[in-house]
Amino acid sequence: MSQQATRSLPRPWLAGLREAIPLLGGYVPVAISFGLIAVQAGFSTWEALAISTLVYAGASQFLFVGMIAAGSPLWLVVVMTLLINVRHVVYAPNIAPWLTASRAWPWLMHGLTDQVFALAHTRLPQLPASQRLGWFTGAALLAWFSWIGGTALGAVAGEELTRRWPLLGEIMPFALPALFLVLLAPRFTDRRWSVALGSSIAIALLLTVNGLSNAAIPLGAACGALCFYLVKLDSTTRGR
Amino acid sequence: MSTALWLAVLASALGTLLMRMLPLLWMQRRLDRSDSDDDLDAMPQWLGILGPLMIAAVLGTSLVPTTVDATSWLATAIGVLATLAVWWRLRSLGWPIAAGVAAYGAVVTLLG
Repeated sequence: MSQQATRSLPRPWLAGLREAIPLLGGYVPVAISFGLIAVQAGFSTWEALAISTLVYAGASQFLFVGMIAAGSPLWLVVVMTLLINVRHVVYAPNIAPWLTASRAWPWLMHGLTDQVFALAHTRLPQLPASQRLGWFTGAALLAWFSWIGGTALGAVAGEELTRRWPLLGEIMPFALPALFLVLLAPRFTDRRWSVALGSSIAIALLLTVNGLSNAAIPLGAACGALCFYLVKLDSTTRGR
Repeated sequence: MSTALWLAVLASALGTLLMRMLPLLWMQRRLDRSDSDDDLDAMPQWLGILGPLMIAAVLGTSLVPTTVDATSWLATAIGVLATLAVWWRLRSLGWPIAAGVAAYGAVVTLLG
């Protein structure tokens, strides 16, 4: 699975499936937790599955179920859910230059999660145009089905699974940061990008450690962007 | 679930889908209107910068271990080093991730 080469794949959807496998390490344990928490909060298995299938946005689903269980007004639950997901608005335009002419693309955006975006943002530019739709469909569907399947597993047998393999849910999620590291490493090309990316990582990490995980992604990216422009200003000033 | 609760699920789902879908339609229209041969030239510069930075922020959030203690942080540090070392040698996608998870798991299992 070379990251650099632009090459033809015999079955692009199969390549998409294969390259999305690392996402399962993060998706399945978290989805199991969601299924378990949803059932404990009073939702049925089918209701938990409906939320995972239709909303399909991890952090906001936990918030949705938690707020309902706490008796919050429904309008506030919807507003907070959408507020957490608002970061998604910048994902699709970022991959738009590599999307081909097909009416399927707008509907496939249902599968554009944080993780699928990270993978697609790196891989789509490396693939021939004719293979991008197949590749994205394979990758996005595997991620979606793993989220739905994990939710079902958690709702039906979550307690048993976490009791029998307590470490599995702790170890497998490391596949996500490992995947993002591999996707980002080639982007540390110069001082400017290194400072911007490094500060985004650090700010998002610090905010998450301090319990602000929902604000961590947009704020981390915004601080990184600020650093990106400050480094340019700095070098321009020195140049004079 | 009551009807009101189902409506809340559907409103959240539809809102999330539109937030993922509508910006694509906006961008595609912008690209279609652009005279430039290269679609990347038609993309606003801030948007192109924000993409990798969003991935970096997602990395930052995902680096925080499920259980926050000294062992998990040590495992995270060793997992990161193992991932980067294998990536440096192979420049591939699959093996560095496998190495990172294995290193992380080994530390958690041995010291946990």
